[in-house]
Amino acid sequence: MIERYHPFLHQFPASGSKELQIFSILAQSFFQPFSLRDNLLVILTALTAGSGLGFNRAMLLLNEENQLKGEFWLGPASAEEAASLWQVLSKPGVGYAEIIEHNRSLVMSEVNPLVQKIKQVAYPLSPPPLTLPALAASSREIILVRDARHEPLVDKDFLELIGVEEFLCIPLLSPDEIFGEIILDNAITGEAIKSRDIELASLCGLAAGNYIYVTKLQRRIMEMKKQAALGEMAMFVTHQLRNPLVSLGGFVEQLLSPDLDERRKQRNLKIIQAEINRLEQMMGRLTRFFRVEIKEKVPVSIKEAFKLATEAVKSPVAQKKVRIETEIEPGLSVILSDPVHLGEALRNLMENSLDALPDGGLIRLRAYRENSEWVVISVEDNGRGIPEAIKDRIFEAFISTKEKGLGLGLAYVKRFIEASEGKIKVESEEGRGTKIKLFFKAG
Amino acid sequence: MKKKKKILVVEDEANLCLLYREELTKEGYEVTAVTNAQRALDLIKKGDFDLIITDIRMPAKDGVELIGEVMQIRRDIPVIINTAYESYRYDFLTWAADAYLIKSASLKELKAKIKELIG
Repeated sequence: MIERYHPFLHQFPASGSKELQIFSILAQSFFQPFSLRDNLLVILTALTAGSGLGFNRAMLLLNEENQLKGEFWLGPASAEEAASLWQVLSKPGVGYAEIIEHNRSLVMSEVNPLVQKIKQVAYPLSPPPLTLPALAASSREIILVRDARHEPLVDKDFLELIGVEEFLCIPLLSPDEIFGEIILDNAITGEAIKSRDIELASLCGLAAGNYIYVTKLQRRIMEMKKQAALGEMAMFVTHQLRNPLVSLGGFVEQLLSPDLDERRKQRNLKIIQAEINRLEQMMGRLTRFFRVEIKEKVPVSIKEAFKLATEAVKSPVAQKKVRIETEIEPGLSVILSDPVHLGEALRNLMENSLDALPDGGLIRLRAYRENSEWVVISVEDNGRGIPEAIKDRIFEAFISTKEKGLGLGLAYVKRFIEASEGKIKVESEEGRGTKIKLFFKAG
Repeated sequence: MKKKKKILVVEDEANLCLLYREELTKEGYEVTAVTNAQRALDLIKKGDFDLIITDIRMPAKDGVELIGEVMQIRRDIPVIINTAYESYRYDFLTWAADAYLIKSASLKELKAKIKELIG
């Protein structure tokens, strides 16, 4: 027998121990779809939740250009406010989203004096000698301050801002970076900070540091992926442009030579014209690819769309002995879409099918309902299928099996379908054929 | 009369095939141009070429495969790679070629390289 559990709890264990509650919140921050800022806010919430166990207030400073800058300050301004705030977590059924919603408004509130003050502070992390709070982050140490008024290492302006005698500074770190600092105090209850509080806070600090680190890495990877894709795209386009350009240059040079006969002059001009057309087509495809945008969906006649797509590939179809079959489910006559993009998408899919059928074969266009939610348009062929090696990459732009292809066909279709809030599915087997299904929202 | 040197051009773009054939014929070579690598290989087995000029990216068999097979049967024929792609330069399989040129609208460099290799 097995028992299955979700990797994290949907609600926090309100009845559990404070430690369990904090761990539960921290662990979940990695799985939440909220922003870095929101997730840090929840970590601060964990630190301040519940009187007697957590801290009264938590301040977050983030390192921006080697300065600790105030980000937000979470905590009540008075004992009354504290009572209501601390109840948030202890309510049964409170989850991550509720905490974020509650505290987001709290740290943004115009009337909260802490919100105004925190945004104006900045403490340089160099050069030494440094005072607190910058000192804790810079020295990568947790520092507990008592009797702050008589401590020369506390910045006087900061002391005035925080207005308490005792506070705890927790640096947010990765092995080689300083991300910021959390400052905790008990301004409302005036309770002394105990060693157990420090232990818990240090764990929260480590988790927050890890969390920022991972988020930054993720962003860097995304950026690098984008750059790589852009580089690949630029390279691909450059190469595709080179062949027609070489041809243009070569035949123009021949035209300039005085001994070229009239017949060849005419031939060269025709070649030049054809190459210019080819360049223009490439540009058109690139432009359409980058500008897929569905402004308005209108009812498009499926029959008409099939007819236009079939017309567009008429001449290669005739040359290759390819048969085209169309089938529309009775009672289904229109779909809501953009007629121009739909036509272009169908043409692209049919061209792919034609390429997969060098010795002739069958292309079948079908339209049918799939449950009440979707209308499917499928393009199917009995050609050679998609090679196993590129199956995972067929929707990436600039990946092509064809020498002269821009590798934009399927990437374009996918962009169009996504812009239409639909989905796309591919079934393909080498040697047997390929079926591409486009799903459009019904009704 | 001096015997004309024979060049085999492998290039899948028909227009470029035509251009290279005409331009190199003008230079005094006997030029055969084909648009696929398999056809080229058949001709190399039978014919007696002094030089092969090949593109890399071609449908079915590509230029790199072609060079590999030529190396096995006729290691003595010099090969010029003439491609739109810079990146294959780092593919060690292309190092067997005698020259690696990037396709250019001016055929000056190609012509100079041919002269250098076969006169």
